[in-house]
Amino acid sequence: MQEKNLSSNNFEQCIKCTICTAYCPVVAVNPAYPGPKQGGPDGERLRLKNKYFFDENLKYCMNCKRCEVACPSGVKIADLIHSARRRYSVETPGLRDRVLAGTDFMGKAARPVAPLVNAVMSSKVVKDVLDVMMDIDRNRKFPKYKAKGFVSWFRKNAQAKQEGYSRQVAFFHGCSTEFQHPEVGQAFVKVMNAVGIGVQLLDEKCCGVAMVSNGLWAGAARHARHNVSVFKEAVAKGLPIVGVSSTCIFTMRDEYPDILEVDNSEVRDSITLVERYLFELVDSGQVKLVFKKDYRARIAYHIPCHMEKLGWSLFTKALVQMIPGVSLTVLDSSCCGMAGTYGFKKENYKYSQAIGEHLFGQIKALSPDFVCCECETCKWQIEMSTGRTVLNPIVILADALDVDATIAANAAPAAAAAPAAADAIDG
Amino acid sequence: MRAEFDVIIIGGGITGAGTARDCALRGLRVLLVERHDIATGATGRNHGLLHSGARYAVTDRESAAECIKENMILKNIARHCVDDTSGLFITLPEDDLDYQAVFVKSCLAAGIKAEVIDPKEAIRMEPSVNPSLIGAVKVPDGSVDPFRLCASNVLDAKLHGAKVLVYSEVTEFIKDGDTVRGVKVLDHRTGEVSEYYAPVTVNAGGIWGHRLAGMAGVNVGMFPAKGSLLIFAHRVNNVVINRCRKPANADILVPGDTVCIIGTTSTRVPYEECDNMAATPAEVDLLLTEGAKLAPGLAHTRILRAYAGVRPLVSADNDPSGRNISRGIVLLDHEERDGVKGFITITGGKLMTYRLMAQMASDAVCRKLRINADCITARTPLPGSRPGGLEKVARKIWEVPTTVQKAVVGRVGTRAATLSPEDDYAGSLVCECEEVPVSEVDAAIERMDVHNLVDLRRRTRVGMGTCQGELCACRAAGRMAQASGCTAKARADLKSFINERWKGMYPVGWGDTLRESAYTQWVYSEVLGLNGKI
Amino acid sequence: MKFDVILIGGGLSSLVCGIRLQKAGRRCLMVSAGQNALHFSSGAFGLLGSLPDGTAVQYPLEAIPSLPAGHPYAKIGVGKIAEYAAMAPGFFESCGVHLVAAAAAADPVLRSVRNGFRFTATGTMKPAWLAMSEVAFFPTEEALRDSDGVPVESALIVNFAGFLDFNARFIAEGLEKNGIRCRLETVRIDDVERLRKNPSEMRSVNIARVMTREQNWKGFAYQVKELMKGEDMVVLPEVFGLGGELIPQWLSEMIPAKVTYVGTMPPSVCGIRTQMRLKEAFESAGGTFLLGDEVLDPEVEDGRVLCVRTSNLGSMRLVADSYVLASGNLFGNGLTAAPGEFREPVFGLDVDYPQDRSDWYDPDFFAKQNYIGVGVKTDGAFHPYIAGRVVENLYVAGSEVGGCNSLAEGSGAGVAIMTAFKVADGILGRQEPANA
Repeated sequence: MQEKNLSSNNFEQCIKCTICTAYCPVVAVNPAYPGPKQGGPDGERLRLKNKYFFDENLKYCMNCKRCEVACPSGVKIADLIHSARRRYSVETPGLRDRVLAGTDFMGKAARPVAPLVNAVMSSKVVKDVLDVMMDIDRNRKFPKYKAKGFVSWFRKNAQAKQEGYSRQVAFFHGCSTEFQHPEVGQAFVKVMNAVGIGVQLLDEKCCGVAMVSNGLWAGAARHARHNVSVFKEAVAKGLPIVGVSSTCIFTMRDEYPDILEVDNSEVRDSITLVERYLFELVDSGQVKLVFKKDYRARIAYHIPCHMEKLGWSLFTKALVQMIPGVSLTVLDSSCCGMAGTYGFKKENYKYSQAIGEHLFGQIKALSPDFVCCECETCKWQIEMSTGRTVLNPIVILADALDVDATIAANAAPAAAAAPAAADAIDG
Repeated sequence: MRAEFDVIIIGGGITGAGTARDCALRGLRVLLVERHDIATGATGRNHGLLHSGARYAVTDRESAAECIKENMILKNIARHCVDDTSGLFITLPEDDLDYQAVFVKSCLAAGIKAEVIDPKEAIRMEPSVNPSLIGAVKVPDGSVDPFRLCASNVLDAKLHGAKVLVYSEVTEFIKDGDTVRGVKVLDHRTGEVSEYYAPVTVNAGGIWGHRLAGMAGVNVGMFPAKGSLLIFAHRVNNVVINRCRKPANADILVPGDTVCIIGTTSTRVPYEECDNMAATPAEVDLLLTEGAKLAPGLAHTRILRAYAGVRPLVSADNDPSGRNISRGIVLLDHEERDGVKGFITITGGKLMTYRLMAQMASDAVCRKLRINADCITARTPLPGSRPGGLEKVARKIWEVPTTVQKAVVGRVGTRAATLSPEDDYAGSLVCECEEVPVSEVDAAIERMDVHNLVDLRRRTRVGMGTCQGELCACRAAGRMAQASGCTAKARADLKSFINERWKGMYPVGWGDTLRESAYTQWVYSEVLGLNGKI
Repeated sequence: MKFDVILIGGGLSSLVCGIRLQKAGRRCLMVSAGQNALHFSSGAFGLLGSLPDGTAVQYPLEAIPSLPAGHPYAKIGVGKIAEYAAMAPGFFESCGVHLVAAAAAADPVLRSVRNGFRFTATGTMKPAWLAMSEVAFFPTEEALRDSDGVPVESALIVNFAGFLDFNARFIAEGLEKNGIRCRLETVRIDDVERLRKNPSEMRSVNIARVMTREQNWKGFAYQVKELMKGEDMVVLPEVFGLGGELIPQWLSEMIPAKVTYVGTMPPSVCGIRTQMRLKEAFESAGGTFLLGDEVLDPEVEDGRVLCVRTSNLGSMRLVADSYVLASGNLFGNGLTAAPGEFREPVFGLDVDYPQDRSDWYDPDFFAKQNYIGVGVKTDGAFHPYIAGRVVENLYVAGSEVGGCNSLAEGSGAGVAIMTAFKVADGILGRQEPANA
């Protein structure tokens, strides 16, 4: 006897309420995209009848997951779309897509000649050439590669003293920290060390999100398997895997099993974002943060799509609001339009900017000192489109932290503070 | 005014539709009369199984041989109605594996290609099949869309000059002594009664032929046998799955269009109840329990609806007890049998053998009319049926077909070239679950005898998908209102359509199906105010 | 994490309750598994349209004493309902949601609320208590009047060409039955035409998104003006004002007639806007809203909830003094139905439902369906039970509460709001002196 008529086929939970379509950033700007309902649960039935019903236009899905966050029926709409792409797409990714997807490969290639690459990539002539030859939009500003990566900085300046801390974490720095924004990793090490936590690096590979977006499924799955096995070793040593990019963390927790079919069940709960990790420590009284008395900032918080999907923005809000001189405005929940490599592509550039229009307008109107955001590609998009600086929350925390006072507060026996919070929290 | 025809055919099921087409192709002036819509009786209430004949091979070799012959014909003349999925007959641990040998032998004797395959191979062929199977036989089963098949026959009959009256009920036979000269027909939509004359009248009323025969003064003993079925919300299987045992309850799972169907049960019902068939809770439970044995996935797949039909079984002439019931084709010339001239009955048989039944009936009509005309239906494709699968046909019409165009091709075959959206307006979807665009809906309303939303559903699949009309019914009603200009009627029709969908949903009203209904309730009753005051 | 109150569900009832509590200084966490039923709101709130036996109600408060004892309104009591009803418009106004009520004298109190009528997309009239500012809402069933009280004689109904979710013919027929001459016209807007290239996304909300652009709504207004032939009313699909009520207001200013909006097929633009406003009000008062997250694994001991967890926050214990369950009925998965029973999936609360499944349904879809009226059993203060034992720090609000068939009665929003107020008062009353 059928127990519930509650289908185990996730797409059948869709009751055609159309709510997903109201939150899809793409349908409103790009009519070629079939939309989350049509491409997801509706399309799935047709594809099960005949795979010929697969629509290559599903490539326009940004995988922002806003449909899934909005769905009252728990349908994994974006997963359905990307699984369908994986199963049925016959379009092979071209050179452009491979270049955009190879975030770590390209970073390594560019680094030795970073100043040259940066100069070249900013030149109008090169942008025109890329536009014509490679379909990378000429209006797009490229993030600057750094000549020295985070890892080499870490090895030279930080690694030696990490063993001295009694508590340790494994740091998944991600590609952008390594190649474009080493300051994010430096901020992470600064804050962790200040609260008495040592940082260990992992033999990590790119999380693979860009490869998923660009249809390089096999490569993405290879990275996923590698990372999961590396994480297993760390977890076996009792180390949590802590990251700074919401997209990397989301991908490794959820996309690995849902789209790439790579089992991460043994490590999933140990993969976390620094904001959540730190909040839990503070909230349970295990560590203390002391901030500079004179720190002042008006900050606007843009919650990246994958952060919305993770559902962890409350931790970032709480942490940033712990800084006494901060006034924090949470921006309307909306997509910036970048979606990783999506906005680089010539065919998407126009839509990418149209999607972000509301967000850019709100930021410009608010004119904050800077924008806070956990995702590097949102950062690129917002900085390019609004001229405002975007900082990862860990960078803000590191800037505002009174390091000496924090070290002192955490060195003193924390036992006095702990009991008050202990009954409320137990992670 | 006397309306004269060569032949009057009563009954717009597949038998009547097929006979109308056959006679029309032979050049006869044909009138087809149906009291509801086409395909409302047993035609629209079965599995939609394109039998290979294997099911009957052991018990009824004659039927089995007919089936495989017609199977191969339909795969040629009704390509857009048929899905050549192939089929499996599986043996489960509780079944007798010895039956398999008898089964295969009987199939081969009837001309059915039956091939024993390794159970592992069967799982590869159809991953949803019960993995504990101990035996498997591959046969040329498939699925057929009975609504589409019936509508295509009617359409072709009309293209060859036939007149078709739907919602028109024969109230009386016009008799001249012991000769049937014609019929009096009540048009339910206008209330008018008209007289139609023809030298031959064919009773193709299926189970209702019993009453028609009585009206004409002859006795045709029908034995109504109810069968219940369940529709699941998507294709769990892509290959027909049968149990390799003597035919029993719930032992066939057929993938049909975007859904799959498990059936059936078999119960004698009183003749008076034939008009109101519904699946009972006990039947639903039985179908689920037995169905999950064929494909365990059914136990956790959403059920869209439950429905029931009545098989038009005929008792042999001198067997009033009904014990000796045949599932074969029965053609009765009432002049020879009962002394009533100008009247024949074609009944029994199956959806699969409709064409053969139509051929037999048309041959009889021609004999009576003393016309020498050959049957060409075995080699003449139905409108829309041209060679090539979905992809090939779509690519032949458009270089890069859109998803909507692909869906239209999937339903109407080569006719899609004329029905498919010409512009963005016509391409807008009315039904999103099944991808039915405005152009297809409008064409059906215009050319396919569509008088209400249920008719429209039978022609186009509007409202047959997951939401069971929640999104599309209101849109489709708008198109109906525009076509008819009668808004009040369209609103009433919208209500009755929603009610018709509900009738199949509440017998399986739990889980997501009930959730879907609750949502539909709020949208239609509250937001759209369909139960409000005018 | 520790909160004062954790609310489960993010729809009308939960938001109203959460805003009240948060504004009263309680730290609230709201967890919503996806968006909610406000997304298919009719644009109006019903308090009580008819009695359980089907008798039409003109003055809802007057009818409340005749409701059966198990009805949520009976539990709250007519005095409190009258008080809450008087308070509701101001409450919503303070959240940025402007609602209109049918005019009624303040005295006698039981006649201080009168049902007006919402004009529906199929051309029918449904009783309603409050309506969002732009929807077609009329004080009485008989006379459709303009804003100056003058009866409307003629109407122009304008649709976007090829927009299937707004059925102008149904609307025209309904208005003509009320003696209003109607004319139908369609307009084309370039950005909407672009949208149409997608065969399925010509939806109310997508049109609304496009119509927030100034050139588009202005262009629309100009086209409507051109099409008018002196009609005193213009009826438009309710696809304006996703960002705010200002666009409908501006259209009204530009178009020289009474402009009114009739709802389309879902999603509901004014419903989404209302949801956004209420969520903003909750968050700007300091509340924490988790969208797309699901409450799981509660710990209940000795008739008290100790903590809950969510799927996104994993093993983290979320602790509060009080908990409110307002996750809706079947639509919101606040209740689930299996062949033999209804369940409340989070806590396994006792649910009131007919034991025989055949009593769940009426074969007539449009008749009263008992399954719609299934809900959680509660005591007078809306505390639920687990296996017969009351759960003291848990409250149930909104359509999850049993005891009424809100669809048949036209009391969906009313029950959501009234139970929300009552539960908020219950929680506040517990922790504060009676006069607070």
